[in-house]
Amino acid sequence: MANEADTAGRYKQTLLAGLWRENPVFRLLLGMCPTLAVTAALKPALTMGLCVIFVMLCSNIVVSLMRNLLKPHLRILMFTLTIATFVTIADLFLKAFQPRMSEILGPYVPLIIVNCIIICRAEACASKNALSLSIIDALGMGVGFTLTLCVLAGIREILSTGAIWEVAILPAGFVPWAAMRMPVGAFITLGLLLGLVNAASKKKT
Amino acid sequence: MSKIKHFVRQSWLLIVASFCFGLLIAIANAAWSPIIEQNKIDKLNSLMSGLLSKAQRFEMEAELEIKSAKGKKVKSNIYKAISDANTCVGWAFNCEGPGFQDKIELVVAVDKDFERITGFSVLASNETPGFGDKIKLPYYRNQFEGAPAEKLQLVKTGDVEKIDSEIVAISGATVSSEAVVEIINNSIIQIKDQMKGKGLIGNGK
Repeated sequence: MANEADTAGRYKQTLLAGLWRENPVFRLLLGMCPTLAVTAALKPALTMGLCVIFVMLCSNIVVSLMRNLLKPHLRILMFTLTIATFVTIADLFLKAFQPRMSEILGPYVPLIIVNCIIICRAEACASKNALSLSIIDALGMGVGFTLTLCVLAGIREILSTGAIWEVAILPAGFVPWAAMRMPVGAFITLGLLLGLVNAASKKKT
Repeated sequence: MSKIKHFVRQSWLLIVASFCFGLLIAIANAAWSPIIEQNKIDKLNSLMSGLLSKAQRFEMEAELEIKSAKGKKVKSNIYKAISDANTCVGWAFNCEGPGFQDKIELVVAVDKDFERITGFSVLASNETPGFGDKIKLPYYRNQFEGAPAEKLQLVKTGDVEKIDSEIVAISGATVSSEAVVEIINNSIIQIKDQMKGKGLIGNGK
């Protein structure tokens, strides 16, 4: 009985770790390339997040299933092969059913292959843990990553166009900040958010 | 013999996994590639209708081969724009060439006598956001609407409103502006000659 409660507690811990304590973007500072590149608007950011969740989930499942067969010196190769397969599938799916998003995201979808969050999770979690825990870990980390991307993208989209999800919400007199759409906006927003998150977590402890 | 055994023992998982993953990608590709192709055709059609407003439908008329600036052979599809009254109202064709960091693919439309360009649209490009990708903006594109279908010239300063063979470059994106002009120049002259040779234009039709 105690063992079961323990397992449930561990699942909860793993799930929450991805969302806040070990948030891939704010705490681990992983996956900076998509974080900076696709957060100019909310829609592409969410699409990117969902793609990453899908790829991470699939790769964690596959890696966890074959964790006992992995040869240590070939493991990174196997991770990359697994990830590349699912990224290619996600890329084809986007091209077929979301052509506009696929165009906006451009090279950043294939670049998920080298997204270090996914390799990090395969290495740190899936290759050492059972299937169920790997799935929970992928969901936690994936949702954490997606939420972070959406927060960044939301702030940038409002300030750069006065709209969110392409629906105008700010009054017509608002002058859009063009800089927020450009890389400089990404760096500034990310920097400020990182500072805020650091300040918030310092107070807690 | 023992070498082969060693090799197989070390890498059988990699070989089996590669085969399975390859199969998975092949299935996804087979299932979705018709949709992806259809998306491309739809996009081309909608772009061409934007350039030739009188056109009701487009028919592929010829497949020409043109030489790029570097001497490489590129295929170009010629589409005939047909109006409600079943008359030819113009032509559209696709062309490509090197841009600032990646290939630029354009679709160019001309009037029925191949005398004036009616406009161009970017089919695919990967130019710098905020600079090179301004080739998609009306400021730059409008200069081509009505320009003569002959050799165009890029100038640094000039009157944007005046429609002639002089195209004013986008400040901060000279390379991209130049690339578009060069792609159009290179293809338009060759295509005009080849179409004349085939009797598609220039015989009072």
